[in-house]
Amino acid sequence: MLEKLKAEELRYVGKEARRSEARDKLTGSATYVSDMILPGMLWAQVKKSPHARAKIVKIDTSKAEALYGVRAVLTGAELNYRLGLYVVDKDILAKTEVRHYGEAVAAVAADTLAIAKKAVDLIEVEYEVLKPVLNHMDAMKAEAPLVHPDLGSYDFMKAAFTPQPGTNVANLTKLRKGDVEAGFAEAQWIVEREYTNPSVQHVPMETHVAIVEWKPSDDIVIHTSAQSPFTVRNLFCYTFKLPLNKVRVLIPHVGGGFGGKAGIHIEPLVACLSRKAGGRPVKFQATREEEFSLLPCRSALTYRIKTGVSAEGKILAQKMEMFWDAGAYADYAVNVTRASGYSAAGPYHIPAAWIDAYTVYTNKPYGTAYRGFGHVEFFWGLERHMELVAQAIGMDSLEFRRKNLLVPGNLTLTGEEIFESSGNPRKCLDAVAKSIGYGSLTTEEKAREKRTGRKIGKGVATLHKAPAMPPFTATAAIIKMNSDGTVNVNIGLTEIGQGSTIAFEQIVAERLKFRLDQVKVTIEKDTDRDPYDWQTVASKGLLLTGNACILAADDLLAHAYETSAQALHCQVVDLDHDDKRVFLKHHPNHGVTFTSLALGYAFPDGNAIGGPLIGVGRYVAQGLTNLDKETGQGNPALDWTFGAHGIVVEVDPATGEFHVLKISSAFDVGKVINPESVRGQCIGGMLQGLGTALCEGYIYDEAGHLLNPSFTDNKILTSRDLPDEIECIVVETPQLDGPFGARGVGEHPMISVAPALGNAIQHAVEAELTHMPIRAEDVWRGIRKHEPVDNWITKTPTGSCKSNVLL
Amino acid sequence: MKIQLTVNGSRYEKDVEENRTLLRFLREDLGFTGTKEGCGAGECGACTVFFNGKTVNACMVLAVEADGGSVETIEGEVKDGKFSVIQEAFDRNHGLQCGFCTAGMILSVKELLHRNPKPTEDQIKDGLEGNFCRCTGYTQIIESVLDASGQLPKKGELHHA
Amino acid sequence: MLQSFRYMAPRTRPELLDLLAEYGSRAKLLAGGTDLLVTIRAGVHKPEVVIDLKKVEGFSGLSWSQTDGLVFRPTTTINEVLQDARVRKDYPLLAACAHDLASYQVRNRATVIGNVVNASPCSDMAPALLCLGATAVLSSKSGERRVLFQDFFIGVKRTILRPEEFLERIEIPAASAGVKGDYRKLKRIQGHDLGIVGVAVALKGGKLNIAVSSAAPTPVLVQGLDAGIAVEAAVEAVAKATSPISDVRCTKEYREFMIGTYVRRLLQEVRA
Repeated sequence: MLEKLKAEELRYVGKEARRSEARDKLTGSATYVSDMILPGMLWAQVKKSPHARAKIVKIDTSKAEALYGVRAVLTGAELNYRLGLYVVDKDILAKTEVRHYGEAVAAVAADTLAIAKKAVDLIEVEYEVLKPVLNHMDAMKAEAPLVHPDLGSYDFMKAAFTPQPGTNVANLTKLRKGDVEAGFAEAQWIVEREYTNPSVQHVPMETHVAIVEWKPSDDIVIHTSAQSPFTVRNLFCYTFKLPLNKVRVLIPHVGGGFGGKAGIHIEPLVACLSRKAGGRPVKFQATREEEFSLLPCRSALTYRIKTGVSAEGKILAQKMEMFWDAGAYADYAVNVTRASGYSAAGPYHIPAAWIDAYTVYTNKPYGTAYRGFGHVEFFWGLERHMELVAQAIGMDSLEFRRKNLLVPGNLTLTGEEIFESSGNPRKCLDAVAKSIGYGSLTTEEKAREKRTGRKIGKGVATLHKAPAMPPFTATAAIIKMNSDGTVNVNIGLTEIGQGSTIAFEQIVAERLKFRLDQVKVTIEKDTDRDPYDWQTVASKGLLLTGNACILAADDLLAHAYETSAQALHCQVVDLDHDDKRVFLKHHPNHGVTFTSLALGYAFPDGNAIGGPLIGVGRYVAQGLTNLDKETGQGNPALDWTFGAHGIVVEVDPATGEFHVLKISSAFDVGKVINPESVRGQCIGGMLQGLGTALCEGYIYDEAGHLLNPSFTDNKILTSRDLPDEIECIVVETPQLDGPFGARGVGEHPMISVAPALGNAIQHAVEAELTHMPIRAEDVWRGIRKHEPVDNWITKTPTGSCKSNVLL
Repeated sequence: MKIQLTVNGSRYEKDVEENRTLLRFLREDLGFTGTKEGCGAGECGACTVFFNGKTVNACMVLAVEADGGSVETIEGEVKDGKFSVIQEAFDRNHGLQCGFCTAGMILSVKELLHRNPKPTEDQIKDGLEGNFCRCTGYTQIIESVLDASGQLPKKGELHHA
Repeated sequence: MLQSFRYMAPRTRPELLDLLAEYGSRAKLLAGGTDLLVTIRAGVHKPEVVIDLKKVEGFSGLSWSQTDGLVFRPTTTINEVLQDARVRKDYPLLAACAHDLASYQVRNRATVIGNVVNASPCSDMAPALLCLGATAVLSSKSGERRVLFQDFFIGVKRTILRPEEFLERIEIPAASAGVKGDYRKLKRIQGHDLGIVGVAVALKGGKLNIAVSSAAPTPVLVQGLDAGIAVEAAVEAVAKATSPISDVRCTKEYREFMIGTYVRRLLQEVRA
């Protein structure tokens, strides 16, 4: 879809434009599901497990049912449905065993929230507490208790995943490229290290919320704060064995997603409550505390990398083992494992590679998609590893990276060829290195070191990511012209804050040659009325839906031209148009207006032709294949967005406290559609990545209780945590199948911020960090070569101060 | 308990339960849904409103405390059909993404500019630390504040390598 | 959502004392609500009655006199303290602690007295009040008690306040005006956060006071050290008085190290 238009011919693409939905958000008039109260609506509350692993001996709901105002009480015993995105392993409510702290065991719908809460408190659950398996490395051991003893009986998506019944392995993804042992034999150096990070919460500002109405006719309406309306509908219907046209999913404005709302979560439970309450709409909204454990998180990871390097500093072979902590259910974690598996070596050329990537069940809240889809986690290890390998072989790490970056003609781990048009990682890396003055300190920086006693360090890290999606991922767009010549665009992709709405409006206006204010992309999604889109995930929306928008615009114009040709008694080939009219190129005064074409062109005598102008664009990813399950070979990548971060950090060498002075980020975005949106993604993603790098993470006690399920002890970064200076850089190597050459950049800014920081800290004070997040104490220990502290499953949970835990 | 209060200049009289927070009262009883709940525990600032002339987290105020008082929410920010200087600046500078923190953020900015019409970048960061935003990384919000206070000579920009 | 309770808003001090006498531990006092409503929401406190202090005549604002010194009342907010010109000029340590407490909109509601009666070991105001020799005036129907803050805290979230009593005034001696001092707080982020450890140092005349938060079941005061004390002797005195633990925020080892480091750095700063 690359349009070889000169930059000066573009009127909207690449130009500044205000977000069209901003004015509703700025006045408080944008409606979110949180804001909705429907006639006759009931309020739901959930009873949650206080244990990580326990048999449910008995649930007594009689007191709750007796309470005035209670309209439905549910337990797992009466819900014979199972849910699952890729491995169908989750009950709507736990039936015989709870598998994680905070898991739902019963639910109530009542006239008011207060009554629902009281009813839930009155539900008595008798548990037989079992010893949980918490650490995913422990869960790999033969003697570990099984989180899912019945794994062998579950349905799963066979084309992509390989569960291992009789173990805690929900999936094993393998990749084999070249001869690894030969590579190691030839290598001058072999460096082997292990890197880890804990689970993290997405923290959308709007917690998960849904209102569901399951009418007696079995027509179901779901209002939900979710990313992917068609996935909610699809999985819902799969679970309840309902025809797709009976279920309508509606999504208004969404208060952030970051992957946590990519799939289906609370909707089935709320639906069952509505059905039991006779079809009245039921609303459930998670509290912030519930968001941490009733709803999913990002998986923890242990990543082992062994690298063989030649005397000249070229990587010859790399063996990678990933152990992903799924938590209690597989959800997206198995696909995170798969996508990370084939990307595991980063934007580097690895002639011989061997990967085993495991998804491991544990008794913890389950992992799901999170911005970056595994790449934030494994790039922590990978780009720290590149630093440590460079150090081990005595080469500057920037030079080492440059020597091994992918170049056109190289094959990726899956055997896919890299072309000039695939993007330019080298340009990104060089841009950030230059921006931070990598390799030396300026006079000013040296003076600052002297003045403050703190040490300044500079580090870089690269990144890449392709959308993790089925090879046949599809989408569509419909453009409808109104009688005044304006158009409405319907797409199934959801606006969750990423700025896709204005980008598609710019693309459509550009392609139609209309004014921007003539084009409106509908915010509210409705599966009954909008065309299909797979999911709002993976940074694939701009490319796939952008192409569909272009095709829909072309289709609309083709219909307009066809009718105009009849009206003007001419051939289509002689026509041109502007934002108001279709006219003859050589007689511009001879034409018809779009207002006269919009609903069908009427001749002076009243006879009409054409009918309402509607354009349809359908697009499906091209040239992709499934991966071979034994070797991982194939074409999985729609497009690669390459990038890099450079960080200047100032570290107190005595205490380990540090502050980021500057961060520069560069991404090869193909073509900028909306510069301010790109910058918003760059900085927003960067700061979310910095949060992951600095402080975020789930802390459990040894019984599996989550100790920090709130903002009291699970901090996210504030305005005061910004680096002093931020630079956003774009490289534009057009993507041949991208709309106007563009590719996605929604997730990428978050990836590799942590290792860039870790590398900078290492340059400043020689602390060798292998665990993320990097807290001041971790740096302090690193400087002193003290044993690192791994307190994410802590032996000393009690504090004089601790979070209030709501269950 | 029956309470009387002024919201955005209009008077209300309403029966309210004593344990009802000002936030739920505004959203569910009066329909001012522009004010959002992000945590319910006074940490995130999504529910920031003016209460008797000062910004507060409405989730940590009881509705009954507002008896005889006045409240200003985001719905009062547009005057005579016109966006405020702050709203326009947020719009120009992409000072929002998902929009869920926006109402609270704008009221905190209003308070900040009221006590300090020309805040420095550090003072802006200080003034907004109680308003979490998970999307923007704050920079375009800070630029919006600089713009609203007439201190942004040049918009933030992307650099080309 | 909050559990249900009865809300009362007495207008006068005698009405308040009557209510306290009647309800005692079944009641909770509401000033800023930034701690109380959080703990009610979490089910930590389940009061039958919530008594709002903000309508009581004479309970707001702060004042200064040569005899009483600086006086805070039950609804004096943190921001009122921060915005007071005398505090900024004569009590810089108080301002430093107040500024590190939560976020701006929380400080608009949170009160100094609320911060100390909550008796969290990580109280931000306690270190300043301890260092400056502040007195708590506790009132009930049976009269007034005056205690220094080092005698006020008795355990994690526990004070000597009796159920029918309330903290009516905090008095910071006029003699503490002009005390040199500062506060350092270790946090996980640079934005608002509870302290992992907090150290306050105050130097007046020939004497040095050091107070530490989040390092023992209560905020701790080491007082009356000789102003010229060797740095390491001061560090040792503080180490002896504190007993930090490991928890979700930090390990004992790092807490101990950081307390020592902050003491060293603050001493250098205030002696300069």
